[in-house]
Amino acid sequence: MTTTKELWENALVELELTISKPNFNTWFRDTHIVRVEDGTVALGVPSQFARDWLSTKFHKDILRSLRTLSDSVRTVEYVISRGPKRNSEEVRTVPPPVTELPLEAVHQKSNLNPRFTFSTFVVGPFNELAHAAAQAVVRKPGIAYNPLLVYGPTGLGKTHLIQAIGNHFRVSAPERKVFYVTSEKFSMDYVSSLQAGKVQSFKEKYRQYDLLIMDDVQFLAGRDKIKEEFFHLFNYLHDGNKQLVFSSDQHPNVIQNLEDRLKSRFNAGMIVSVTPPDHQSRLAIIRTKAAAHNFILADEVLEYLATTIEGNVRELEGALNTLMIQFEMRGQPLTINDAKTLLRGAGSAQKKAVSVQEVVKIIANFYGVEEGSIYEKTRRKEVVRPRQVIMFLLREDFRISFPTIGEKLGGRDHTTVIHSCDKIKNDLRQDSVLNNELHQIRLMLK
Amino acid sequence: MSMKFETTLDTLLNASSTASRFAEKRANLPVLGCILITAEGSRLILRATNVECGVEIVIPAKVATEGTVAVPASVLAGFLGNARGKVVSANLVGEVLKVETERANASIKTLPHDDFPVLPRVSAEHSFKIKSGDLVRAIRSVAYCASLSAIKPELQSVLLYGDAGKLTAVATDSFRLAEKQVPLRAGGNVPELLLPARNAAELMRILDTVSAEVELYYNDNQLSVQTDGVYYTSRLLDGAFPNYRQILPKSFSTEAVVLREDMSSALKSLSIFADKFAQVSLSLDTAKKSMFLSSRNPDVGEQISTVKASIQGDSVAVSFNGRYLADSLQAVAGDSVRLHSNGPGKALLIKDAGDDSFLYLAMPMNR
Repeated sequence: MTTTKELWENALVELELTISKPNFNTWFRDTHIVRVEDGTVALGVPSQFARDWLSTKFHKDILRSLRTLSDSVRTVEYVISRGPKRNSEEVRTVPPPVTELPLEAVHQKSNLNPRFTFSTFVVGPFNELAHAAAQAVVRKPGIAYNPLLVYGPTGLGKTHLIQAIGNHFRVSAPERKVFYVTSEKFSMDYVSSLQAGKVQSFKEKYRQYDLLIMDDVQFLAGRDKIKEEFFHLFNYLHDGNKQLVFSSDQHPNVIQNLEDRLKSRFNAGMIVSVTPPDHQSRLAIIRTKAAAHNFILADEVLEYLATTIEGNVRELEGALNTLMIQFEMRGQPLTINDAKTLLRGAGSAQKKAVSVQEVVKIIANFYGVEEGSIYEKTRRKEVVRPRQVIMFLLREDFRISFPTIGEKLGGRDHTTVIHSCDKIKNDLRQDSVLNNELHQIRLMLK
Repeated sequence: MSMKFETTLDTLLNASSTASRFAEKRANLPVLGCILITAEGSRLILRATNVECGVEIVIPAKVATEGTVAVPASVLAGFLGNARGKVVSANLVGEVLKVETERANASIKTLPHDDFPVLPRVSAEHSFKIKSGDLVRAIRSVAYCASLSAIKPELQSVLLYGDAGKLTAVATDSFRLAEKQVPLRAGGNVPELLLPARNAAELMRILDTVSAEVELYYNDNQLSVQTDGVYYTSRLLDGAFPNYRQILPKSFSTEAVVLREDMSSALKSLSIFADKFAQVSLSLDTAKKSMFLSSRNPDVGEQISTVKASIQGDSVAVSFNGRYLADSLQAVAGDSVRLHSNGPGKALLIKDAGDDSFLYLAMPMNR
């Protein structure tokens, strides 16, 4: 049994062959079958023009094509109907926005992923400020920080945060229009509207929103027409006190090929960065994510994950997923050794060949001690710490054996090296300064 | 195919330029860009339609051979528009229409007319009667407020409805709204009809030349009117016009009366200094008994105009799009206008001081 929709689609295919293309496009656009009863097909057409013309000119063709598809069709009648896609619109009951008459609210698709909410967002020292700014925006949209720009390296929850703003807004002010778009999609929209000659409706589409969220604005750089369109859109919304939220992987001032007028507009609002999470936050993130999936991990394994996989939250998530799948397959808890084998090669462990001398040089430079003193037997405090860090990094990131490290660093015993590594590992848990230092050193070593 | 007729140039020119406004220039179907001319008896019938609205004009003619032809509207109207003389004759030979005026001869290529649609007729079941001048005034007072955006088709139209002997016309683009009431002659209750604003403008131009009373027929989907010699029909939109009565403010904190001419000329000169958003700040000063209007453009300069006003209530200052204010004044017939405000951020209600039939609501700019 074919549905009425299929029946009409098939009939249209046939009609298209018998009727000239201009005629077909003019008269059969927006037609559909309203109902089929006792062999009578009620055909919905958009206007009386279409009804009168279809019934005088094309009635025979329509009837013939329907009858070849379905024997039960006896006759066709024409009714004027706009088609099923238009919904009646709800009446707005809340206080009016400022520049528009409060005529009605049309619910628009916001393009938001409902998974990204504030409640699943882990707040730590690394993203505290960004989170606070987002909360302020939610409380006073358009007033608090407009525009809000969140920047930071990939995989640190920028998208999560800015979508959470949208999701929160959608719930707290359902009559307002929220839209989330990536700059890539925005560009594509613009290009296709140009091709279709519908730039005006493109402009209108984007100008109707009360909250516009655009992800990865750095991709706008270098595309002149799109930047210009974005510039006008920005001005329009900003002047209307509509909230704008952006994310970028860099501070706008350092994005290449971005005009000063755009930079200054970004700077006019609030720019906050998210940095890679520290050890504590990573632990918290893993716990939250694991809990979201009802997945229980031994503390040891958690600790291992948080220590080995640094920086990127997305990588943490990936590692966690790997463990989860294994757990489901085996049906028994994972030990620390399982985790280690499974996640071998994951994380930010360095595989690039860097000579020990280079590492020593970089780290000595970093701490401002003489390179030579690292190899000496001195136990001055300012040298001991860098030396321990060097040992720790050589071991953890470069997988060099304890005896080799000892040998290269001025012929030390391998137990000294083991002790140094443990010491740093322990200190890392409470010492955020050390955490930061290590992070920066690792960046330099990349 | 053949056809031959002769008629006065003026009548044919008028009829074909009116009809050409209904022809669709960029139609899928080329025949929709044409005027369909039918010669029969002692008259010519010109038809044109863009499938949204259509027109049929009957003019007297000396018909030698009856027939029908579809002529590209822009070609025919363009040729006749530049022709001289009193009489025009036309002769269809094969696919070419030879048109002859006093000083020029044209051969116009025609199109097959089989695909030209019939114009819908509306049964006489529902109708209302109105003085054509009144309907023109009603549409003219509001149509400029209709939205240009296709996102909400119902806002791209003029709402017409009638009760208690009055026809009400309303249009809004959600930034401003205008409503005008005119007397109805007959047909008491008219349900809400949504006439697309573009088609309403054409209706206005057709009725502008008619002084008598006209009768408009309507059903759920179509509206049409027959005047002497011209039949007009337009699609009606289905859809719900917003319940705008709900948002008309009932009480006000400030009321002011100013001379329309004063305010209108002030706004005109302020537009020179307005920024790209046409922002005009309006302040009503109770103590100084004046309305101050000012605009500023960093690249041009600024201007402040003072308009004498009688003001009751609190002093208030709000910014508007100057064009929105100016638009309302051209629809006011009386010599003074009444402004009603509820303070910053609230809509301004503008009325004709001596006449309650027109009202205009403008939303402020929020800066």
